[in-house]
Amino acid sequence: MSPAAATPTAADLDRIDARCQEIAGELGFAVPPIVFHVMGSAEVYDIAARGLPGRYSSSRFGASFRRQHDEYRLGRSRIYELIVNTDPVHAYLLDGNSRVAQTLVMAHCIGHAWFFAHNGWFGPTDRAILPRVRGAAERIDGYMAAHGRDRVEDFVEACEAIVVHQPQAQLVHAADPEPEEDRPGPYDALFPDDVTARRDRIERAREDRVHRVPLRPDRDLLGFIEHHATGLAEWQRDVISILRSEQAYFLPQMRTKILNEGLAVLCHQEICQRLMLPAEDYWQYEQLNASVTQPHLGAVNPYHLGSTILREVMRIAQDPDDEERERWPWAGEVDPLEQVRAVCRDHDDESLLREHLTPKVCERARLFAFEHVQGNPRQIRVSSTECDEIRERLIAQHATFGVPHVEVVDADHGGRGELYLRHRDEVGLDPEYARGTLLQVATLWGRPAIVETTRHGDPIWYVAGPDGHTEDATERP
Amino acid sequence: MSVVQDTALPSGQGARDALHHSDRLRRKVTEQLKRRIGEEDIVAAGPDKRIRVPISGTKPWRFVLDRGERPGGVGQGDVRPGDVLGPPDGDADGSGTGEDGAGTAPGEELYEVTLDMDEVEELLFAELELPRLKRKPDPTTTEQDVVYDDIARKGPQVDKKATLRANLERNARRGRAFVGDVDRDDLRYRSYHEQPRPRDRAVVFCVMDVSASMNVPRKRMARLFFYWCVQFLRRRHEQVEIVFVGHTTEAWELTEAEFFGRVATGGTRVSAAYELVDEIATRRFPTADWNAYALHCSDGDNFAADNRRTLELVQRLVERFALVGYLEVDSGTGFGVQRRLSGFFADQAADLDGFVFATADDDRALWPALQRFFARQDVAGAVA
Repeated sequence: MSPAAATPTAADLDRIDARCQEIAGELGFAVPPIVFHVMGSAEVYDIAARGLPGRYSSSRFGASFRRQHDEYRLGRSRIYELIVNTDPVHAYLLDGNSRVAQTLVMAHCIGHAWFFAHNGWFGPTDRAILPRVRGAAERIDGYMAAHGRDRVEDFVEACEAIVVHQPQAQLVHAADPEPEEDRPGPYDALFPDDVTARRDRIERAREDRVHRVPLRPDRDLLGFIEHHATGLAEWQRDVISILRSEQAYFLPQMRTKILNEGLAVLCHQEICQRLMLPAEDYWQYEQLNASVTQPHLGAVNPYHLGSTILREVMRIAQDPDDEERERWPWAGEVDPLEQVRAVCRDHDDESLLREHLTPKVCERARLFAFEHVQGNPRQIRVSSTECDEIRERLIAQHATFGVPHVEVVDADHGGRGELYLRHRDEVGLDPEYARGTLLQVATLWGRPAIVETTRHGDPIWYVAGPDGHTEDATERP
Repeated sequence: MSVVQDTALPSGQGARDALHHSDRLRRKVTEQLKRRIGEEDIVAAGPDKRIRVPISGTKPWRFVLDRGERPGGVGQGDVRPGDVLGPPDGDADGSGTGEDGAGTAPGEELYEVTLDMDEVEELLFAELELPRLKRKPDPTTTEQDVVYDDIARKGPQVDKKATLRANLERNARRGRAFVGDVDRDDLRYRSYHEQPRPRDRAVVFCVMDVSASMNVPRKRMARLFFYWCVQFLRRRHEQVEIVFVGHTTEAWELTEAEFFGRVATGGTRVSAAYELVDEIATRRFPTADWNAYALHCSDGDNFAADNRRTLELVQRLVERFALVGYLEVDSGTGFGVQRRLSGFFADQAADLDGFVFATADDDRALWPALQRFFARQDVAGAVA
């Protein structure tokens, strides 16, 4: 074999892949063959910008491609691998990476592939998405040729502003309030006027429910617009459906980032430790491994947190203390890697954190909660190293992966065909972004759009028209 | 075999999209500039000053929670409660609070460009031209026309057709005529040479109402309008003659400094100005040798009795002039619309060929007005 730093040939990589697969099988992480593509940086960074190879042309991808590729060329960052959840799984390796780096990456990919195949959230994923993505790109090219690139891009940009608001992104539904019912009371005969008023009110509310669009608040913003906006052309509806279905592919990955990366790190560590690398290679491997799992000061490194949690799961399976025995029936009773597989099958990041972010994990991962320093957005003050506090913060961030709860409440607000959205979170929407996003919504809807939210605890309504006009209202418009 | 050296993917798409992004940025900047041409910081910017243009249209808009209200986050490191981390004041050191979970942090990107006035004008004036310019050559000077009519083996701009032909010929010489395997040797570039062309002579009359009814906001609008006219003419038509005329009930030819600084009092008689334009044009800029343009800006508060006379003069001017333009500022307030000159023109001169009039009630209307007067022939249809 060639020295550690040299670029491996396809045959080298094939041998490494076969050996990694063999070990993975012994560990209980057997996966169907992964197709590895070795590519130049321009191709790898193109896929990185798009998320899926061959996705439609957009200047947004162009901007992100240029930024990341420039970072790479300046030596400031390096993408080692990209993986696509299809059947078979495709992974894209950066040509020119050393043999040891490619080895780590290929072992890492086995973890992802196992996760894709077994995690419950990935069940509905369309594994034949690549040809569909290419077909969609061709259709969008056609629309650009027919209607002008700018017009199509403006429309795509408007859709992208809200495409992440899809049902799988936010499965928590608030229960509808129970509708009031007409129950006869013991004193009805004394207050006939009240009884009539009550009946009227109930009847009106019922009417209202029947005629209201949507019947109950709808969190699928773009889907709602696709089905209810009146002014959309056929190509525009097609663009919406393309963007929604491609987004649906990304949602399970967004909600399992910590767990998915945690398993991939665990896999590459377990496999690489069994490869019997020569000392020189092993040294290089450890450096790369450390750079992947290195904690960040101001944020959480999902690779590090995920693998720390899974290592804790393994320890509890093997060597629990009394408290842990009490809490988890499997503690001390199960093969550690079998328990890792069980966790990876059943959880997303939110439930993983609820179940397994223990004080021990917080300590091992050196987690802390912080607050922003008033008047200096770049500074943070450590507020706590308490596990409960940290868990609450992390769950709040990961429950909806940062997507605010916005729902369509009324498609005909004020009888003027205005789209009324309501936002419900502990804190309000960023005003600048709320106005900008709402303008895009109004463009799609073809009529004014309103979003109800709060600003420093007080209610506020942002209003935007398709003509580009916005205003802030402190009373319900 | 599970490792493939992949060539199936379309390559270069990322780079192409990056170029699209630059184009899009340019378009958005231009849109912003058009909306902002009334703002002081642009007008007051000297040639050396650089102005900052936020490109609101290019932000990736999302609903995000208010960072100012957000309770904070979670980090990793060896710290104790109470520790303050991060750069002491806003100075970037790269290690700040970067990644923040997908969707919460709008990508760090450039949403503001800094332009100098050259660039600002370049972007704006690409859409304007002196309309209906006829061949009226100036015997004393010439300008160079760039004519692309040649093929070269070196250059910046590939000629695809010539390249493919060279490729086909090379393949044919080797025995099989097909297009493919394009080689560096096949590359052909467009080449040009410069051809002297006589310069067409043009004169533009800038006529501004400086009477008492032109209050401060109206004067400001009128000056802004002429400021951009003059900037445009100087940049795109270096040799154009500009004649400045101010009027109340009388009219005077002014220097540029007087024109932009003049404050006068008195009533308004528009015909006086058009008479003066007519006279200067006849005396100094005979129609046979000059493309002549007149642009007049007023609040339209003319003596009613003078409207008829004004119209006669306009009708006479358009026969000889390439274009007569009239811009009425702030026409929405004060006097009834029907009494204003714009109302009268709308009634009497709407179809008059060579006469263009527009109204501007606020700064945002200035750019559309400029576009009407300096409509490029190829986009004239779209603007009208």
